[in-house]
Amino acid sequence: MTKLTKASFDQHKAEIQATSKNWIKVGMSTCGIAAGAEEVYKILLEEAKKKNLSIEIKKCGCLGMCYAEPLVEVHVEGVPQVIYGKVNKDIAIKILEKHVGTKMLVNDYIFDLALTMKEVRK
Amino acid sequence: MDKKIVLLKDTSIGAADKTKEYYSLILNLLRDHNLQDSVQVVRVADIGFYDQGLVLKILPEQVIYGRVQESDLLPVITETIQGNKILDRLALKPNEKQLRIVLRNCGQIDPENFDDYIAADGYAALKKVITGYKQEQVIEELKASGLRGRGGAGYPTWMKWNFARQVKAEQKYIVCNGDEGDPGAYMDRSVLEGDPHSVIEGMMIGAYAIGASQGYFYIRAEYPLAVERIQKAIAQAYEYGLLGKNILGTEFSFDVEIRLGAGAFVCGEETALLASIEGKRGTPQPRPPYPSIKGLWGMPTVINNVETLANIPVILLKGGAWFGKTGTEKSKGTKVFALTGKIKNSGLIEVPMGTSIRDIVYNIGGGMLSAKGIKAVQTGGPSGGVIPKEFLDEPVDYENLQKLGSIMGSGGMIVMDEDDCLVDIAKFYLKFCVEESCGKCAPCRIGGYQMLGLLENITNGKGTNSDVAKMKRIAQAMQKASLCGLGQTAANPVLSTIKYFAAEYKEHIEDKKCIAGKCRYLLNYKIISDKCKKCGLCLTNCVFGAITGNREQGYVLDSAKCTKCGRCYEVCKFKAISKG
Amino acid sequence: MTEPKLSEDIKKVVEKWRNKKGSLVMILHEIQNAYGYVPRETSLELSKYLDVPLAQIYEVITFYNYFKLEKPGTHRIAVCMGTACYLKGAPVILQELKELLDVEEGHNTKDGLFALDVVRCLGCCGLAPVMMIDSKVYGKVKKEEIMNILSEYGKEE
Repeated sequence: MTKLTKASFDQHKAEIQATSKNWIKVGMSTCGIAAGAEEVYKILLEEAKKKNLSIEIKKCGCLGMCYAEPLVEVHVEGVPQVIYGKVNKDIAIKILEKHVGTKMLVNDYIFDLALTMKEVRK
Repeated sequence: MDKKIVLLKDTSIGAADKTKEYYSLILNLLRDHNLQDSVQVVRVADIGFYDQGLVLKILPEQVIYGRVQESDLLPVITETIQGNKILDRLALKPNEKQLRIVLRNCGQIDPENFDDYIAADGYAALKKVITGYKQEQVIEELKASGLRGRGGAGYPTWMKWNFARQVKAEQKYIVCNGDEGDPGAYMDRSVLEGDPHSVIEGMMIGAYAIGASQGYFYIRAEYPLAVERIQKAIAQAYEYGLLGKNILGTEFSFDVEIRLGAGAFVCGEETALLASIEGKRGTPQPRPPYPSIKGLWGMPTVINNVETLANIPVILLKGGAWFGKTGTEKSKGTKVFALTGKIKNSGLIEVPMGTSIRDIVYNIGGGMLSAKGIKAVQTGGPSGGVIPKEFLDEPVDYENLQKLGSIMGSGGMIVMDEDDCLVDIAKFYLKFCVEESCGKCAPCRIGGYQMLGLLENITNGKGTNSDVAKMKRIAQAMQKASLCGLGQTAANPVLSTIKYFAAEYKEHIEDKKCIAGKCRYLLNYKIISDKCKKCGLCLTNCVFGAITGNREQGYVLDSAKCTKCGRCYEVCKFKAISKG
Repeated sequence: MTEPKLSEDIKKVVEKWRNKKGSLVMILHEIQNAYGYVPRETSLELSKYLDVPLAQIYEVITFYNYFKLEKPGTHRIAVCMGTACYLKGAPVILQELKELLDVEEGHNTKDGLFALDVVRCLGCCGLAPVMMIDSKVYGKVKKEEIMNILSEYGKEE
């Protein structure tokens, strides 16, 4: 990677901001990993590949909801973005089949705290 | 009609969860109205409201209804879903209790992906500062923000920076204190793990403002993942030219290294931390001189906590005035808390300064874990105090917590219920400080030890009426004469429990009783003959021969032989043994 | 790695830190990472190699809880004694481990299979009470489950 300068910084930023697609994020901080996030992450990767789904599966930090770990956040065009908590292998597969596949939310595992957590974005 | 989604959750407390029943009812009603294909009904695990009966949330309009009764379901469907009309009598306001400034990227971006951070406005503040701000301007902005140190003491950050800026020296340092040792608090770990670049960026802005060219991350060795992520982030920043010589083509150069803590709580104290970075025993030094004047290897050094630094990029990007709009008069911005203990939603929360403890416990924490009532909330860890339930409506900020006999601390907030013995809690914290005392100064080393002895006597049933006064006197000596913050504050948990729970101390001392059932030697196990089914399980489990009897006549417990191990109490399936 | 001396590998590590200010704590971290403790022979060699008095090295090792002077058991059990875990029953977990393994905290079992430690907050308060064996974290531990958990790590006796 070439070093960024004043001018290339903004250009680089514009380039990466332009790409937006469907993704799944798995909370992989100490608490998430302790609750089994690694297994969930692995199964999501494997199953998405098996099912040939075009979705990016990413790791992220802690959302703060330790009581509901492992946490998986899903963004799929045309479906509200939600956070699933207490996800295990089976639920992970269900999320791929239902939420990603048929664009239907999965019952019983959504932790809908979007409104209690206002973020500081533009 | 657009496809709609109805989220539902029965949030009643103390009653059976009827989410599934309502779910079927709604499904049936939708079928009746031929809406089953255009509306999806979803049961959720948590809807962001607590104790509001059945809560419905209708998307995409984000209409929220609370305390919905069965009879309301039909109008909800015909009027709101079909007719787009909001039923005012059911509508709830959004529960916007949390505000995420520090945690803005935690859980949002991939901490190991540099571009994720850039896309989230990362390093934009740094660029703005090093390409267009004078040092004084950075400090002015910080002054306007009113940001105070998040490590515990709450010293204004701009003043610290300004002192260091004004000193002329060949070399200046900036240190990030990530030696989070407070048991039950892990805000800093989460930020380091979830958003490492923000902390680096904050540190670089500080370095620019004071004129430092070298920075150190001091992180607990017990946080391997945090260390790994910071390491990766530093390497990435070097690779992209955001660390090193002539950053972004400017005159500003800055290098960072990591130093690991090694399990010494006292190293959270500034001067001890610096000694540890120098590779020495982490014992504190008398202040002044303050580190901003004479710190690492005798050079001006600014030490900021992880959370403080994570605030910096946002302040510079959005302006100090913007930041200052949140919070109370003297405490600006937000505070991250590790909310734990006997609470439903244990986790990390971030709230504007001034939020009430009640809001935190009931509207964010989801209320108590069990039917047992709340007894107190502890903040500030081993240096803090307890706040009894009478003060739940008090706003959380630096001054107010201090007024209540506790401190803001680094952000541990532990909720306790009626099963928790406050004398035992005081002992727990004091023991922590005694074990962690570095031993350099006598008030802390000896005072703590003696006070712990008195507390142990009390919890063992050997306390006397003069013990409380003795503890208060020792506490005073420790507060006044200890060298560093650890010793000066070690007695706080004891003092605050004495202040608010004097009756509990009295019970331990005079009645030799621990109502919470925590202090083992004060328990008195008894077999309740009415409840006893004469199964004999207690007899076979008592290895001390304190239980005698047979299956016909029942069993008795000889308290003289009882060692209060509690085995019989645990094994009894009929709750026929009391321990009061 | 078995020879508790200043092996070539360790020398390389030391070289990396040699010219940096205040690197003793970091060098000790590297040594402990390699051996699991800081062997006396290594300290002796280190003292000569760095020209630092042995007393100074020991002064640092003994100050910090993290550094160990004895070879730890094969598997390290760390029971979290953070406040959240304490309130939610960590003392019971610790007591059960002590009884099952017949060992006191800070020591190894007789067969050397386990080392039992008490630690300050592992940062998983949402899962309290928590214990960690090697790098695996067990959350919401119940007293009755401990025997099973231990059996995953080979025979107890």
